[in-house]
Amino acid sequence: MGLLTTIDYQNIFTRVQVRGPDDLGIPIAKGIYERGTTASHNYWFGKIGDAQVGPFYLGVWGLLSIACGIIAFEIIGLNTSQGFKIIPPLSQGGWWCIAGFFITVSVLLWWTRMYRRAKALGMGTHVPWAFAAAIWLMLVLGFIRPVAMGCWCEAVPYGIFPHLDWVQAFSIRYGNLHYNPFHAFSIVFLYGSVLLFAMHAGTILAVTRYGGEREIEQIVDRGTASERAALFWRWTMGFNASMESIHRWAWWFAVLTPITGGIGILLTGTVVDNWYLWAQHYGFAPSYPPVNPPVVDPALLPGAR
Amino acid sequence: MSTQIKSSIRFGTIAAMSLGLGLLLAGCQQNPPEATQQNGYRGVALEQVQSPKILAKLAEANQAPEVVPPGDRTGPRASQVYQNVKVLGDLSETEFTRIMVAMTGWVAPGGVSGSDEGQGCSYCHNLNNMADESKYQYQTARRMIQMTREINSNWTNHVGATGVSCYTCHRGNPIPSQTWFTGGGHPKNLADGGGWMGANNGQNLAGKHVGRASLPADPFTPLIQYAETIRMTGKTALPTAKGETIAVSERTNALMNHMSESLGVNCTFCHNSRAFAEWKDAPPQRVNAFHGIRMLREINANYLAPLNTTYPATKLGPEGDAAKAYCATCHQGAQKPVNGAPMLGEYPELGAPRP
Amino acid sequence: MAMLSFERKYRVRGGTLIGGDLFDFWVGPFFVGIFGVTAAFFSFLGTVLIFYGASLQGTFNPWTINIAPPDLKYGLGLAPLAEGGLWQIITICAIGAFVSWMLREVEICRKLGMGYHVPFAFGVAIFAYVTLVVIRPVLLGAWGHGFPYGIFSHLDWVSNVGYQYLNFMYNPAHMIAVTFFFTTTLALSLHGALVLSATNPKDGEPVKTPEHENAYFRDFIGYSVGTIGIHRLGLFLALSAGFWSAICIVISGPFWTQGWPRWWSWWLDLPIWS
Repeated sequence: MGLLTTIDYQNIFTRVQVRGPDDLGIPIAKGIYERGTTASHNYWFGKIGDAQVGPFYLGVWGLLSIACGIIAFEIIGLNTSQGFKIIPPLSQGGWWCIAGFFITVSVLLWWTRMYRRAKALGMGTHVPWAFAAAIWLMLVLGFIRPVAMGCWCEAVPYGIFPHLDWVQAFSIRYGNLHYNPFHAFSIVFLYGSVLLFAMHAGTILAVTRYGGEREIEQIVDRGTASERAALFWRWTMGFNASMESIHRWAWWFAVLTPITGGIGILLTGTVVDNWYLWAQHYGFAPSYPPVNPPVVDPALLPGAR
Repeated sequence: MSTQIKSSIRFGTIAAMSLGLGLLLAGCQQNPPEATQQNGYRGVALEQVQSPKILAKLAEANQAPEVVPPGDRTGPRASQVYQNVKVLGDLSETEFTRIMVAMTGWVAPGGVSGSDEGQGCSYCHNLNNMADESKYQYQTARRMIQMTREINSNWTNHVGATGVSCYTCHRGNPIPSQTWFTGGGHPKNLADGGGWMGANNGQNLAGKHVGRASLPADPFTPLIQYAETIRMTGKTALPTAKGETIAVSERTNALMNHMSESLGVNCTFCHNSRAFAEWKDAPPQRVNAFHGIRMLREINANYLAPLNTTYPATKLGPEGDAAKAYCATCHQGAQKPVNGAPMLGEYPELGAPRP
Repeated sequence: MAMLSFERKYRVRGGTLIGGDLFDFWVGPFFVGIFGVTAAFFSFLGTVLIFYGASLQGTFNPWTINIAPPDLKYGLGLAPLAEGGLWQIITICAIGAFVSWMLREVEICRKLGMGYHVPFAFGVAIFAYVTLVVIRPVLLGAWGHGFPYGIFSHLDWVSNVGYQYLNFMYNPAHMIAVTFFFTTTLALSLHGALVLSATNPKDGEPVKTPEHENAYFRDFIGYSVGTIGIHRLGLFLALSAGFWSAICIVISGPFWTQGWPRWWSWWLDLPIWS
């Protein structure tokens, strides 16, 4: 029972849900579209987070973005393929181009919406700029690199298994993406982001008993939650972030994942044709003692057919 | 909630999770341990990990047939004894009969006299006149014997001294069970556009012959029949000329999936996957596979594809082409066809024609 | 004196799991404790052995140092030092150091009156590592199935293991793990950005409140999970990424030996469309 009692105090889910009046949000300036005035509640959402769902805000940009998204989704749902030339015949990849166009427009409109919502509330624009990093990777994969290579056929197909085949074929074609340093950076930031979120979320949950989840208050007026959280890491690894700076670390790790990944993709085929040979050239590909008898390419031997 | 209810909920959760885990394990293809084999420097996973269950099934399915007792090599030649013997005429009469008996068992078992249509000697022969060439099976068999002797004498870099016989592919079937037609056997191979739905480049089909990946379902027509380039990895660190496209890379990937699945091995059987294109680090089996691809190209072009004019229309593929060979035709899931039975050693008659 | 202005009052004795007052002190900013001593011992021994291995290999190029596990022929037995024995001892050192570090975190949690979320989360990471170098090799019957310790040599291992299943990305557990990795990163960027955007408004404007954060996310996607919720969600996503990574590798080999694309046959063969 001792162990179970300990678990009960770890703040894993909300045991008692208090329901006050709905929070209908900070007022915003009047526009064509108004924010909704009702909210609903979901008991299971309330178990881990806020039970309130809504109010919703659509807005012109949201409406346009969703419309474009639906068009792209419909096209992808009905067919896909890769194609050639600037506007290939529809059945030879034209639909891919149209779907890609609508997805891109949809995403860019959504970015505008995120930016305008932040401004409307008088907040910083950190969220849209983080989203922009993901858009960069998407544009590299589907637009910038194909243009640089001179063929839409270089882009990623839209499909669950086809895009996985593409990843593998891409890596083999360019001599093993593991030897692409920017791919390595991207993976480091990806794993680093997961590590950071586990560290940060774990720390905050561990000091919720001191009000640690009230991060903004802790940033402007440091309390014992912040102090304990900081000392935990200081005593563990000799270094700690502050309640604000941990979010900067988080933002940069997360944002550098698609940025470095996009650079790695963009360099592949345009600047480097075989990453393994490139790694050998710069001396960072390990070599292993030979185990098998040496093998020569039979196509180079006399009498090869 | 009382403590009792709480603990029953906890117990129920644990029981449900254990049941789920049990079902998950039951759904697995194999429980450990596995059969493993290392074929490279330690630590970099150059190894085969195979399921003993699957290996046993394969060994069972690839049993060699009983050997027909060898015959006297001396005496008059078959070409002198029988009429219209254009191949195998260099054998002695007993050797010739031995091969005929063995072939019946390999290709069209069902008794020497042929108890029903398409079985036994009558599958190829007009029993009233054994020299009659009118059956298409007779003409096909003649060509196939030439092919077998060609493989056994000129493709030893692939088949070694083991060699092949009719059984290697046929396994008791008049038509080998594993062959390919252009189009990958998928009725809607929309390579040149299928209207509004769009072309799929022969992809996205969970290809039966390419390990059920969504890769191109028929890499054989371009890479085996038309001998287009398989090698697509960049040859230099920096780009020098316009390289191959991703589509070409996926096509090669599809062919390689077929090879792996046909032999029941994984990519590292022939490659150090950190650099697929490099020969220096590659396991030696890759050389054998290289010659296998060249062998397939030649026997398909010279022997199998031209039979489209010999076969009746019902035996042709949707594009009107004859059934052709790929790795699975002989290997049928096993690293060594027919468990490596020495076909040529047991039937030296199927080697190069004797002078 | 490496102490923060408020630190002195938190530096109290007690809270240790074992050993009582033994090593219950700080060195610079670091808390020591009995597990700090064991962690230091294992880390030091492991590091020295890595350098010894590098000298045997004849390179100190950090990119190409490779401490490889033994040949498969040694099975689950001990191998000579120069033929994988080093890898075996270094693995013991690594597990010893990781577990010590986790227990030291528990002691620090107890000193600071904190929950145990961080050491638990670290335990999931240790579980993933142990799956790779102990559980899976034991299931497959040889230490040689562990991954080599080297920056690029371990990537060669990843490559070869992946291609043993023709396309590892068709592994359903790998799909789940990758989805959790990407989702965690997305959630981290949104959380980090939201807090920064509330505390860094335009020059001259007052710092915003959690109500602004809620309003922004409700305007954005119609739902705001809230300040506690995002940390619960983040921890769940991050731990799921690690957990499913362990699952995706432990099933590859011990429970499935063919190409992962073929695994999907059950789906392709569902009676609905086949």
